[in-house]
Amino acid sequence: MEDELKRLRAAALEALAAVNEADQLESFRVEYLGRKGLLSTVMRRLGQVAKEDRPRLGQLANTIKREVEELFQQKKKQLSSTGVAEAVPEDLSLPGRSLPFGKLHPVTQVMEEILGVFEGMGFAVAEGPDVELEHYNFEALNIPKHHPARDMHDTFYVTDSILLRTHTSPMQARIMEKLEPPLRYIAPGKVYRCDSDITHTPMFHQVEGFMVDYKVSFADLKGVLTSFTRRMFKDDLALRFRPSFFPFTEPSAEVDIACVICGGSGCRVCKHTGWLEILGAGLIDPEVLKKVGYDPEIYSGFAFGLGVERVAMLKYGIDDIRLFYENDLRFLAQF
Amino acid sequence: MKFTLKWLSEYVSIGDLSPEQLADRLTMLGLEVEAVQDLSQGLEGILTAKIVEVRPHPDADRLTLCTVEVGDDVVPVVCGAPNVRAGLVTAIALPGVTMPGGLRIKKARLRGQESRGMLCSGKELGISNDDGGILELDEHVASGLALVKELGLDDIMVEIDLTPNRPDCASVIGIAREVAALVDSPLRRPIKRSDLPVLDSRNIDFSVEIREPELCPRYAARKLTGVTIGPSPGWLQQRLLAVGMRPINNLVDITNFVMLEYGQPLHAFDFKKLAGGRIVVRCPAKDEKTFTTLDGSERTLEPEMLLICDQERPVAVAGVMGGLDSEVTGETTEVLLESACFDPVAIRKTARRLNLSSEASYRFERGVDPGGVDCALQRAVNLIEELAGGKAVVGGVDEYPGRRDLLTLPLRPSRVCDLLGMELDSRRMAAYLQSIEFGIAPAEAAETLQVIVPSFRVDIEREVDLVEEIARLAGYNDIPTTLPLIRMDYPQRDPLRALRQDVSAILLAQGFSEAINYSFVSEKQLDILGLSGDDERRKCTRLLNPLTEDQAVMRTMLLPGMLENIRRNINFQQTDIRLFEIGKTFLQHGSGTQPEEKLQLCAVMSGQRYPGAVPLYFSGKQADIFDIKGVAQSLLTTLRITGDSGEISFVAAGEKKQPYSQEGLSLLIMDGERVIGGLGRLDRGKGRDFGIKQDVFFLELDLETLCHLPRAEKAFKSLPRYPSVKRDIALLVPEPVAAGDLLQAILEQDVEHVEQAELFDVYRGKPIEKGMKSVALSVTYRSLEQTLDDETVDRFHKEIVHSLMSRFGGRYRGGQENEEEKRNA
Repeated sequence: MEDELKRLRAAALEALAAVNEADQLESFRVEYLGRKGLLSTVMRRLGQVAKEDRPRLGQLANTIKREVEELFQQKKKQLSSTGVAEAVPEDLSLPGRSLPFGKLHPVTQVMEEILGVFEGMGFAVAEGPDVELEHYNFEALNIPKHHPARDMHDTFYVTDSILLRTHTSPMQARIMEKLEPPLRYIAPGKVYRCDSDITHTPMFHQVEGFMVDYKVSFADLKGVLTSFTRRMFKDDLALRFRPSFFPFTEPSAEVDIACVICGGSGCRVCKHTGWLEILGAGLIDPEVLKKVGYDPEIYSGFAFGLGVERVAMLKYGIDDIRLFYENDLRFLAQF
Repeated sequence: MKFTLKWLSEYVSIGDLSPEQLADRLTMLGLEVEAVQDLSQGLEGILTAKIVEVRPHPDADRLTLCTVEVGDDVVPVVCGAPNVRAGLVTAIALPGVTMPGGLRIKKARLRGQESRGMLCSGKELGISNDDGGILELDEHVASGLALVKELGLDDIMVEIDLTPNRPDCASVIGIAREVAALVDSPLRRPIKRSDLPVLDSRNIDFSVEIREPELCPRYAARKLTGVTIGPSPGWLQQRLLAVGMRPINNLVDITNFVMLEYGQPLHAFDFKKLAGGRIVVRCPAKDEKTFTTLDGSERTLEPEMLLICDQERPVAVAGVMGGLDSEVTGETTEVLLESACFDPVAIRKTARRLNLSSEASYRFERGVDPGGVDCALQRAVNLIEELAGGKAVVGGVDEYPGRRDLLTLPLRPSRVCDLLGMELDSRRMAAYLQSIEFGIAPAEAAETLQVIVPSFRVDIEREVDLVEEIARLAGYNDIPTTLPLIRMDYPQRDPLRALRQDVSAILLAQGFSEAINYSFVSEKQLDILGLSGDDERRKCTRLLNPLTEDQAVMRTMLLPGMLENIRRNINFQQTDIRLFEIGKTFLQHGSGTQPEEKLQLCAVMSGQRYPGAVPLYFSGKQADIFDIKGVAQSLLTTLRITGDSGEISFVAAGEKKQPYSQEGLSLLIMDGERVIGGLGRLDRGKGRDFGIKQDVFFLELDLETLCHLPRAEKAFKSLPRYPSVKRDIALLVPEPVAAGDLLQAILEQDVEHVEQAELFDVYRGKPIEKGMKSVALSVTYRSLEQTLDDETVDRFHKEIVHSLMSRFGGRYRGGQENEEEKRNA
């Protein structure tokens, strides 16, 4: 019995050494280690051995079986790691397996980026109604009924005194009316103007921002907007402030950035001026402050507004504003 | 506002500034330059030419053969213009020259006759709209000269986009005043105030009566006799053409020219047509309902409109347009010249009411300088005497009921520095203001400047307006750039905005892209969707002035816009679609109020289940109702929304389904008894009505409601230490039994150690008889105290199987316990 076990061990080791393919390995396993294999067959006969030899021979048989199993496992590992066992090599040029993500609308992406910059500077976000009272859209912002400045706003009306807001500036008045300074707010939203062509859609998005506190100055306005435009576009971006007119700010400014298409040398997008108008801004007009009960001798503030589509068009080089509202998947997938 | 550099330089020297530099400086001063255009562009090769001889073309009736002198050359030209004649001096484009329109002139033979050049019309040259014949120049002009020089077209046109607060710059002199400040050179005016005659109204044969002094603060008039109406001289025509105004006749051209020069609209009446030689400024009488303006249109008059009338009837709509009947014509010899100032709001209302905007109303609406009425009048009188042979009658009228002292504003230099955030001394401030003709009165207190506002600056009313003047003259770019010192604060996040961001992120991860649609839609879409008359979503907010009928009402739901998006994408061969929109809907609950605005979510899917996924790995199976249900479930689960009921449920909609949803494929999303949303397959017929031929699945959720629903707290539970045991059950149940109910029954049974139960297969067909289906479930058992042995698990599992069978009338079909089945059989 003992000899038989030792011969079996030698034969098994020899057979295992000769194995070099996966299916040979399997037939080895069946022959030696399987339930009806050689080792099992021998071990089943242990019962017939003399009682006093049983423990010793049993132990020997177990040791041999463990040894062969261990070597078998080693061989198995070795075969798979050398790759000989792989039937067909993988074609790694095949694409990875994944389910595609959807895309946020480019207007939302740019809007979130804008809000993110201002939130980082401690501005709170607030949204107001799209269908607005004429009072907040115009009167509260120092634009009386028959003011020529109304020509700048082609307004959709719902009734004589209710309209679709033409800008997000009404939020200035709404928030100031409710709260006391210091205030730092940013108000995003949809705005509406009756105008439709390649550069105008009757609905678009704006972000209005304002700050009111003691001694807020025009220099502060320049500082905040300079930081903002550089975060949005690039760090060394050139920009300029030039005088303009809005009834609810005084002094008023328009902010131009160096053309992001041509870098300032002049192109079709910047109409060969090298500059792109991007923001309207100014110190909040004392009339607006007075209407909400603030004393303009104590408080001052600045306000600004910008069009989100315009920023998105400049950032991404989109040449037709109407694309934003067609929701063509081929368009959305690009951002 | 357009002007040319030559015109501007009559009033101010621009020094050595290039046109581009000047444009840039004006822009930085608040006069935004829109365009700078070289008027000679495209006309470089055009020469003057004199026609020496004209003969008929032998083979064409309409053509003539001309012999044309161009400097020292004489060339043959075939011409078709009706006004061609010997002795005419005109313009020629010789072979090799490219016309402004891009046409390149070549030597040619026209019907067999040689032609070496083209005689040009004003329209062909792009300098006027006249295409009735070739250009006619003064007969004394020599031939062979550059046309641009002869016509004064060697000039630059500048266009300024004026802001509404600067009517003073709706005039070349106004712009010259700003330029004078920029380059620090004097302003030259054509009329000096000291040269103005004193107008005596005693010995003249006309009179002016202002019945509405509030609406007409000043009205001045002069009479001229012996006027000969004819074409204006070339220089005057060129001034007008250069800024896009059509020359008409010498008198009209002069009034237009002075308006552009001074910003003061003028009007010339044919004096003989003014009944009674009287001008009455008044509102319409009761029986005056209509009036015909000089453009030939009959206008409806409103009671508050201001009119200029003679003794009997209206002769002009004040500040907007003159009347046809009193217009200056070729026969006019005596004119009454009006120079007046009207109330801006009144003129604006009238112009709006008549839907008539003119160069005059543009200026009056924004505010004409009441102090400049007399200078402009004198300038026009001088020009008429000079260019139209007229003679001004001595004396005239200058009614000035609105005469006011000039406004004096106190200005605190410290206030200027505070608001601008810059250091600037008061002398500099005074100098800036004086450079644009503000006055500085001697001040009582040294710390305050007394600033006298000139009458042409109608926009300056307050100290802060002066601050802006100082800022723009100092240059915005010279104001420092600082960041404000602030008190720290940590603003609250708007929960609705946070929810919106979370919902977007979850949907993006599931392959949905975001759409944004217009807030206004066509009400017809609601008809197509089959909404009943009393459906809440019929409460549309209607626009008074929509651009089109397709955008006439505010949307009450998002789905129609998304269906439009699907249709469009399919048209462009994008047939596999996952889109969502988060946007406001508007419900008009009453009239005369703002509508209720609610943030809603709509998600749609159509086509293949996994749009954009590699087909190698993901089968091209079509999406079905369970895809959209899964989206809704994972959305609510990820947001941890439990609702007031503790769990959000999906209930077959039955009778309560949306009218546009397919019967039997509609679910309501409920929190207890409250519906918070719905999903389903779009009714195929309704889909076709939207132009969509493939199945569409939709999900609608009210985010406003969702935002306020309770959410499960995040709370840690210890990880189990003992292994779980899984047992499967396959039950044959009658078809009407809902598989979800089986699952629910297991969980509700409250059998000990049941950790989880899952549905993993539903099977119909052979060998199962008709009317039955096989539902396979797996139940996971686990104890937190010990490893469960087989016997224990078997005991619980048996309990579950028995109860399911007795409750749902099922038969046991399989699972791990097949001995049990044998015994039962």
